[in-house]
Amino acid sequence: MTNQSSRAGLKLTDILVTIVIAAVFGVVYKIWGPTYDLMKPFGFQAEQLIYGMWFIAGTFAFLIIRKPGIAILAEVAAATVSAFLGSEWGISTLVYGFIQGLGAEIIFMLFLYRSANLFTVSLAAAGAAAASLVLDFSYGYIESLSAWNYTLLIGFRLLGSIVIAGIVAYYLAKALELTGVTKSLRPASKDDYEAL
Amino acid sequence: MQFMIQHVETWLHRVNPALKLILFTLFFVAVIFIHNPNVLLYVTCGTMLMLFWSGHPWKRVLLYASPFILVFISTSTGMMFFGEGKITWLKYGLIHITQESFYRGLHLGLRALSLAAIGLLFGLTTRPVNLFYSLMQQLKLPPKYAYSFLAAMRMVPILIEEFQTLRHALKIRGTKRQGRFPNIYKTIKRYSIPLLAQSIRRAQRIAVAMEAKGFTNDSKRTYYYRIGYSLVDIWFSVYFVILFVLAYELGAWFPFVGITDVR
Repeated sequence: MTNQSSRAGLKLTDILVTIVIAAVFGVVYKIWGPTYDLMKPFGFQAEQLIYGMWFIAGTFAFLIIRKPGIAILAEVAAATVSAFLGSEWGISTLVYGFIQGLGAEIIFMLFLYRSANLFTVSLAAAGAAAASLVLDFSYGYIESLSAWNYTLLIGFRLLGSIVIAGIVAYYLAKALELTGVTKSLRPASKDDYEAL
Repeated sequence: MQFMIQHVETWLHRVNPALKLILFTLFFVAVIFIHNPNVLLYVTCGTMLMLFWSGHPWKRVLLYASPFILVFISTSTGMMFFGEGKITWLKYGLIHITQESFYRGLHLGLRALSLAAIGLLFGLTTRPVNLFYSLMQQLKLPPKYAYSFLAAMRMVPILIEEFQTLRHALKIRGTKRQGRFPNIYKTIKRYSIPLLAQSIRRAQRIAVAMEAKGFTNDSKRTYYYRIGYSLVDIWFSVYFVILFVLAYELGAWFPFVGITDVR
């Protein structure tokens, strides 16, 4: 049943719910900007620990609607919302959003969109971080930072994204499931049939 | 949100939004390939110049542009203090400023500045409705995506209002923020779960209504707003071509610093 609906592409409900979830995080992303910038001048890459917040829309949306394309759509939508709210990074927000969503999407795709446990989600968060680092290499000349600084940057970013976009996203999704709003979004599972 | 504020309509508002988006994305790619700080400085100036045509009063433009200073400082200092280089200017503990890293930092700051300016320009001169109509008509974006985006945009003000209500409700019940790290998760949860749950419920209701009204049938639909190309689009593209050519020439003939490649 799940396969049939995913083969037909995303339904309007899926798309709208994803974009609305992304909009919530888009507002968060906008607030996150100044926080990040204020942590930056300390220089010890401390800001990288909170960078992971910008990957949460993709992983979280996938945990709610487990279909192909959701992670990437959510990241692009969240980036768009924060850009329209007047993001300080301007047009790069959109490019980064797309790349980060792609990073998470690839990991979910490797698991054939079947797995949504803590490990997969953390891996997807790390995937988004890796994708953002790839773009940063060409955008931010990371390789010409001194070695210790550069190692801290990569380490902190990966760690921060696994904690925020992986673990926090996972438990937030669990908490949201308790409210019952996700039930109508997912097609009836095997357990449901067995219960009948 | 900018599109609700009164402003004068300029020629930049009449540029096809899809074309503007594509050009600005190309601008991002082009800026990544500029390694000469002199050229980049001229590109940044040329981009900032366009803000004069935003149609908004200059005081408002300055207000929106004020975070750029923070972005410039935060982007450039990291590289200035900790970048690699041979000619040392200052060494203090871990901080090691070299000539190379200083200019590289400056270059990164300019990069962020030019992209921030172009992003602001896009935000100030593009109406979201026109953008999504244009994406549907010129770039064949399926209507279900475009209309979902538009519906979600409308929900952002509601979302902010709900956030305020939630904040007041928590305050009146005496929920104190207990600071410290482990409670950050609690705070995030306290705010995000009700906001998300409400938004998802609302989104589902709207989606049902939209499906009933035929927003999903892709075949042969008509549009309330017809968006096409005009002469302004040519001027706009030409401006960017001239901007980059001029920046390269000026950067070569009238440099500010003696460095031509910051890598």
